[in-house]
Amino acid sequence: MAHITAGITSSHVPAIGAAVDLGNTGEDYWKPAFAGFDWTKEWIMKPENKPDVVILVYNDHASAFDMNLIPTFAIGCADEFQPADEGWGPRPVPVVKNHADLAWHIAQSCILDEFDMTIINKMDVDHGLTVPLSLMFGQPEDWPCKVVPLAVNVVTYPPPSGNRCYNLGKAIRDAVDSFPEDLKVQVWGTGGMSHQLQGTRAGLINAEWDKKFLDDLTADPERLRKMPHIEYLREAGSEGIELVMWLIMRGALGDKVKELHRHYHVAASNTALGHIVLEPAE
Amino acid sequence: MKQNIHEYLAEFDDIPGTRVYTTARARKGYWVNQFAMSLMKDENRKRWLADEKAYLDEWPKITQEQKDALLARDYDKLLDLGGNIYFLAKVFSTDGKSYLQAVSTMTGMSVDDYRNMMLSGGRSPEGLRSKKKGY
Ligand SMILES: [Fe+2]
Repeated sequence: MAHITAGITSSHVPAIGAAVDLGNTGEDYWKPAFAGFDWTKEWIMKPENKPDVVILVYNDHASAFDMNLIPTFAIGCADEFQPADEGWGPRPVPVVKNHADLAWHIAQSCILDEFDMTIINKMDVDHGLTVPLSLMFGQPEDWPCKVVPLAVNVVTYPPPSGNRCYNLGKAIRDAVDSFPEDLKVQVWGTGGMSHQLQGTRAGLINAEWDKKFLDDLTADPERLRKMPHIEYLREAGSEGIELVMWLIMRGALGDKVKELHRHYHVAASNTALGHIVLEPAE
Repeated sequence: MKQNIHEYLAEFDDIPGTRVYTTARARKGYWVNQFAMSLMKDENRKRWLADEKAYLDEWPKITQEQKDALLARDYDKLLDLGGNIYFLAKVFSTDGKSYLQAVSTMTGMSVDDYRNMMLSGGRSPEGLRSKKKGY
């Protein structure tokens, strides 16, 4: 049977993708940002840890979805997805290959479990999905695992509540557990941490709040489930709301987790870069 | 955990220097944002850069005020007029500008000052969480 072996979260700042693609990761500006991923890069390629499939939770930044269609939760079910052209040409990264059987299984299971998923086939994937892959896997010829894209609306309000995200994570776990193929599956939550990309408050960073968020992913996810959107907005900036997506990862891991690794760095472009690796504890 | 939608939306106006992308803003900026999406195609980027005014003429539902703000790359104004930063990113990316460069123009700081602020820990939330409560 398939099972969830670990959860990873990471910011997905577009400038990080540009730094990788342009070969700038060794520059003084970028070195400390990337250094915190060295541990994960080594850990994730060990045979006992390497995932067969990653369920990658991210948000589309007006790439596949424009104002015409705004799905709250959309699961990519096609066999593959091309990197999106976000205005400067597509990133030179491998095509994202899906485990379509698992994706369709999750879609069906979640709908039966009262999560009304949108199913999408034709979809280009933007920096929200490809930057975390670059951070964890570097620049391989092909991504070393299959990826199920799960896009969450955190752009047009209201986005889903943290509690809804957490519960979706639980439903995803049940879906994975009932898939007959023997697969190691990781769930990744991406985006955040504190950042604001607009107005006179742009550049807001709240390291204290971010660190408490990282702590409570392990110590007190119940607090995070109850956190209203207004707290993210006030404390972590208007784009900090992306952090609700981390709770899908957390919900998928079960009640108890163990923290294996974390990294926090200010700033990557406009953003507080956060990264954590968790594994289920029971 | 059921929330009252009116109270939910009203709280957003209490955050200093922030325009939350509500459906009211999304409706106002619909055509600005759809126009921005058209710049995801290289052929459109070339036509836009060759003659911006002529390109905007193809979008009759964008208001003159919105068109002026687009031509001026006045991102702060565009947010007031219903633009969203992830859509507008297609405009500044076409100009070869990064998020940091574009975002800094809304702060009244130079790009260098803004970058330095970010490198030294970013903007503190102190006093910027709530207009009413001033914390
Ligand atoms: Fe994002």
